[in-house]
Amino acid sequence: MPEGKYCFRRPLQTEEDILHLLSDTRGTNYYKEMEELEVDTEALKKRLDATCKSRLRTWLDICARCGLCADSCFLYRVNDRNPEQVPSYKVQTTLGEIVRKNGNVDTKFMLHAMEVCWSRCTCCSRCAQYCPHGIDMGQMISYTRGLLYSQGFVPWELKIGSGMHRVYRAQMDVTEEDWVETCEWMAEENEEEYPGLTIPVDVENADIMYTCNAREPKHYPEDVAEAAILFHIAGENWTVPSSGWEQTALCMFAGDWEACKMQVQNVYDAIERLKPKRVVGTECGHAHRASVIEGPYWCGRPDGKPPAPYIHYVEWVAEALRTGKLKIDPAKRIKEPVTLQDSCNYVRNYGLSEITREIISYIVEPGYFVEMAPNKDYNYCCGGGGGFNGVGRYRAQRNKALKTKRDQILATGCKLVIAPCHNCWDAIRDLEEEFEIGIRWTFLKPLLLKMVVIPEHLRPAEEEE
Amino acid sequence: MFKKILFATSGSPASDDAARVAFDLAGRYQAALELLHVTGVPTRAYSQVVKDVRTGEEVSVDENYLSCIGDELKSYYERQLAGCAAACTVSIVTGYPHREILRQARSSGADLIIMGASTKGEEGKFYRRGMAGSTLQRVAKAARCPVLSVHRPHASYWGGIGSIVFATDFSKPAESAFAFASKVAQELDAELHLFHTLDIEKGGMGRDMDQDEIEARLIEARKRMYATYGARMPEGFKKWQVEVWEGTPYVEIVKFARERLADLIVLAHHASDPDLEAARIGSTMEQVILRANCPVVSVNHPDKI
Repeated sequence: MPEGKYCFRRPLQTEEDILHLLSDTRGTNYYKEMEELEVDTEALKKRLDATCKSRLRTWLDICARCGLCADSCFLYRVNDRNPEQVPSYKVQTTLGEIVRKNGNVDTKFMLHAMEVCWSRCTCCSRCAQYCPHGIDMGQMISYTRGLLYSQGFVPWELKIGSGMHRVYRAQMDVTEEDWVETCEWMAEENEEEYPGLTIPVDVENADIMYTCNAREPKHYPEDVAEAAILFHIAGENWTVPSSGWEQTALCMFAGDWEACKMQVQNVYDAIERLKPKRVVGTECGHAHRASVIEGPYWCGRPDGKPPAPYIHYVEWVAEALRTGKLKIDPAKRIKEPVTLQDSCNYVRNYGLSEITREIISYIVEPGYFVEMAPNKDYNYCCGGGGGFNGVGRYRAQRNKALKTKRDQILATGCKLVIAPCHNCWDAIRDLEEEFEIGIRWTFLKPLLLKMVVIPEHLRPAEEEE
Repeated sequence: MFKKILFATSGSPASDDAARVAFDLAGRYQAALELLHVTGVPTRAYSQVVKDVRTGEEVSVDENYLSCIGDELKSYYERQLAGCAAACTVSIVTGYPHREILRQARSSGADLIIMGASTKGEEGKFYRRGMAGSTLQRVAKAARCPVLSVHRPHASYWGGIGSIVFATDFSKPAESAFAFASKVAQELDAELHLFHTLDIEKGGMGRDMDQDEIEARLIEARKRMYATYGARMPEGFKKWQVEVWEGTPYVEIVKFARERLADLIVLAHHASDPDLEAARIGSTMEQVILRANCPVVSVNHPDKI
């Protein structure tokens, strides 16, 4: 059977497409049809010719299978050091095979490659730090995902997620109207406590344009409200775009590069339309990677940069605390052992480890911050990265992968974990659910709101007591 | 008195007492009644899998699941739905309960939200720690309309309302609560008991107040009650009186309501503490709801009175 009713090569392009695939609960028929899905070897070969260039081919060639990357990989360690979990093995048996056979692979191979690329690697790239040749196996698996996606071999949820980006320019069905309405709602809900609070939409030439993760307006708009309140307290001149507000890219996890480009171009268009001095993104790791690190290349921007300086939320927070725009009440600092989760995407892969420690120095009473081991650039992935959190088919593998982070947290002895990244936050919540180790986890925004001093002129009119 | 009532229900015995009041009220005042059940909390990034609030199981959200839950809810309330004179609708949604209740109230323009006070551990505990405060507290704090809760079986009688207790802490939200209480009292020709507690724990700023000081403060508070609320009584409404007692607010409110045979307690949820988790234990509103013998209405905003 070439293509099925649910499982086919073409991406989801319309709302009907998405609803049709969603109606196949848990992707039961989708995966069944995938077993029969033929590989279009000609197209795969063409794609290799067009996209598999010298860097990847050199990496594949010079990899000596020395295995120095083995112990760097948390999935290798957590799976009883199974040799099949060694990063170089994972790359060589998937991408290596496809390249060596010049695309001449069969359905059975592709199904296996899908399982490797989405359940044995979170693209955290920790292994790249240990390779004597500097081979980035996270990048290579990510590239392989693109090949698999183009042939229709992709986990059900990620096919849908990509479709969401294509149809809504957001990872969930949040329309522009929904978004703007949510902004109004959140301003209204908090204006009594914070008189003058607004969430300005589409203001040109602001100092800051803010972008977020679609889950925030969809499920916990409190996050949007908290961001607004903190900008308000800091006295920032800021805005959100009505279109181009969604910063994430599940399509990046799916390997749907075309949708990645559409998605991030939408954000860049907003930047060019509103001309802010800078852009600040929410507490999300992969969104930062998509819109700041990789996005410019997807869109073919010659300087490799977004249209305006684009910083991560932690960079804004550190700056606001450093310059006194946000002042912390010393009495309200955290006075319990607390640890910090370093998100792979903006710490290891973007170098913000010191920035988050700077934030810690303002908000935690000296002596209460406990580092995980290893940490900063060498931290382990939470276990939920690269789309792992969202794929039902690999839930068991994902839950096993959470043990690494669980043990790291247990070793700190902390009951509070700061996780300024949506995927990490989710994975840590899930590990608490799975293993019940009695921890609490939080983004930075709610913590800051408990501690910041609200300037006199922004407080509600004094009530008599 | 009410035109659109939103009844947020767990669809389980925990909401039975609230259900009784909801159907009774809707029938009595010919109000449209919307039953809302938040059935699952999103567990992963892409929302098509939720944790079922009753079983804790992970469930895929699809038409089938939602309609099954809808049918269950309809059969659970079959008798009430059949006997209700008003128009009733049933909505099943997924999301974080407090947020979806607020979203629905906002979109339908409900003028009253009714909910059970506590699902006594039936609610999934897993999303709690990521979110401070109970569903009720969060709804009560942010809702633009009054929020009525019922916690005990003998509190679930909404008969002829003859006696209303309005408990005030003189806060700004209490002004909205007063506007609501006095309006209801006038419309139903009920007695209105304005009540304030002199908080002896907080009032003494960490020291024990002597009796002379307590009594002086009681007199002062009574004066303030007359000054604050007397002038704002609805035109021609005479059945009101003022009382101030000393003690711990929630205990005194419940005792006072018992003494005055109150059929309804109205108060404002004091939302000045940003940390709902911390406020939880000491929340006067929540404690009153848990203990009172009658429905309790929390009003914080003037929009829907």
